[in-house]
Amino acid sequence: MIAGGQVKAAFRICYFNGIIPLWRSPLLIWAVFLTPLSFLFFLFVITGPTDPQFLPHAVVGGVLFTVIFTGNGMLNDCAYLRLERQLQQIFVASPVRPFAYLMGMALSELAFTIPALVLFLAILLLVTPVSLLGFVGLLGVVLLTWLMATSLGFLISTLFKQLREIWPIGTLTFSSLAVLPPIFYPAYLIPARFQWVAFLAPSTYASQLADAVTGVNVGSPLSPGVLNSPWLDLAGLAGATILFALAAAYLARWREP
Amino acid sequence: MEALVAQKVTKRYKGRHRETLALDAVDLSIAKGRLFAFLGRNGAGKTTFIKIASTLLAPTSGRVELFGRDVVADPAAVRPLIAVVPQEGKPFYHMTPREHIVEYLRVRGASGETAKSRADGMLEAMGLNEYKDEVSYRLSGGLQQRTMVAMILATQAPFLFLDEPTLGMDPFARRQVWKVIRRAAQAGSTVLLTTHYLDEAEQLSEELAVIESGRVLYRGTAEALKSTLGREVRLRFSRGFTAPELQPYGRVFEERGAVTLLTMRKDVRELTELALERGSEITVGPVTLEEAFLELVGRGIEEDA
Ligand SMILES: Nc1ncnc2c1ncn2[C@@H]1O[C@H](COP(=O)(O)OP(=O)(O)OP(=O)(O)O)[C@@H](O)[C@H]1O
Ligand SMILES: [Mg+2]
Repeated sequence: MIAGGQVKAAFRICYFNGIIPLWRSPLLIWAVFLTPLSFLFFLFVITGPTDPQFLPHAVVGGVLFTVIFTGNGMLNDCAYLRLERQLQQIFVASPVRPFAYLMGMALSELAFTIPALVLFLAILLLVTPVSLLGFVGLLGVVLLTWLMATSLGFLISTLFKQLREIWPIGTLTFSSLAVLPPIFYPAYLIPARFQWVAFLAPSTYASQLADAVTGVNVGSPLSPGVLNSPWLDLAGLAGATILFALAAAYLARWREP
Repeated sequence: MEALVAQKVTKRYKGRHRETLALDAVDLSIAKGRLFAFLGRNGAGKTTFIKIASTLLAPTSGRVELFGRDVVADPAAVRPLIAVVPQEGKPFYHMTPREHIVEYLRVRGASGETAKSRADGMLEAMGLNEYKDEVSYRLSGGLQQRTMVAMILATQAPFLFLDEPTLGMDPFARRQVWKVIRRAAQAGSTVLLTTHYLDEAEQLSEELAVIESGRVLYRGTAEALKSTLGREVRLRFSRGFTAPELQPYGRVFEERGAVTLLTMRKDVRELTELALERGSEITVGPVTLEEAFLELVGRGIEEDA
């Protein structure tokens, strides 16, 4: 199958693995919404009225939380299809290239989150003005974060031979990426000496970059000063994406060892 | 022309505590368009072989070529030519049988029209028409398995690997599936299937291989297997005979008081006379593939012991 066929295959997989289930069980949308929405709610109740800069950052955080959790979906779905249903195998033993299968799976995860993303983006426009360029930039950050998260999700899924070992790992990993780092809360709240620690998580770069492109101001600058550079954020996010994608490609069990 | 050529294929699974030799230098070739069955006890190595030949598992050593292409070195050339029913595979829970076939064909590159018309034909042939629009989590186990098989057979791939395709199917469904598999072979596909139903292997396969402990014990037709073993007929004595005295004639089983002997044609007359003398009823019939299999594998186990 030629390249065009592979792209079509990826979108086809997205259609039946992402869109059809969403269509048949619309309640699934709520599952995606609920956690980031409740975070947002609590943060608003606690601090919203006192810090006017805080809310837009947290709403952008809601966008990123949703996107980061596509990685958890990727992890669970890829493991489930490979280990429980033997369905990865029917795509591997076919003209579909492994890469097209992966893109199809990752697109399905994205399809799942689109309703939630639309909601959060709408809330964002309500709480702060965002320029068209800023909006496009944010979508770019969303796409990069999605690639980063789904690569990581797939990477982790390749490490397991048993489904039952996976579930806690996924929740742990992606919660640590989306809740612990300054995604919902602003990074300057971290004591200056430890601000660099947040940059060990690739999601921090995504959050900082998203703030930068949308023009959301999060208060005092971070130290050391280099942490305030959007270029560092871009490099960190892109670097993590490439690293995870390469490791995933290397470890993928297209052919069991 | 050979569709599959395997040379000295060996697979060792490394476990924490022990190593399993799942395949031990297996040589095998399957002619193009042949309907070939793999028989063997649980753990004999059938699935391991299928996974290696279908690019899903790396061999420890040895070579498999499919239509002249190396499955290890050049999987991208092999994969478009194959389709696999994995052992104990399950369909997507949220899709209907019809969607499974249509979507899988489309992902593999078929046009919408081709996919739909093949899906309709396949649903009909597999007896799935009644269930074609039911999401698969509402289907019984056998119907889910039929969905998997229908999806793979609809590809009309040049090489079809079917690992226990009729698992959990009722006798009617099995016969429907046999028909579709036969048709695939007639249309030119090469089929390698495994089954534990020996009647199925006898009905369906043109050639078979019996594998035990990772080695090929026999390869040929079902008929030839029976005669090479020297077990052509089954004699059943209702009474008057003991197992030890019949042992020299062949393999003996005792079941519910009757004695069954698998033996050669030439001994039938003598034993019939003897049975009449002793007032025993005797029934004579051809040996089934299942009996020949028990004999062949049984001998292998005895030799190992
Ligand atoms: N992933 C694995 N890791 C370790 N050992 C394995 C693995 N898969 C199979 N084995 C071992 O390899 C041997 C062959 O297994 P295989 O699945 O090929 O048998 P099979 O002939 O298909 O059996 P069945 O009729 O039960 O399906 C068995 O001893 C099995 O325990
Ligand atoms: Mg098996």
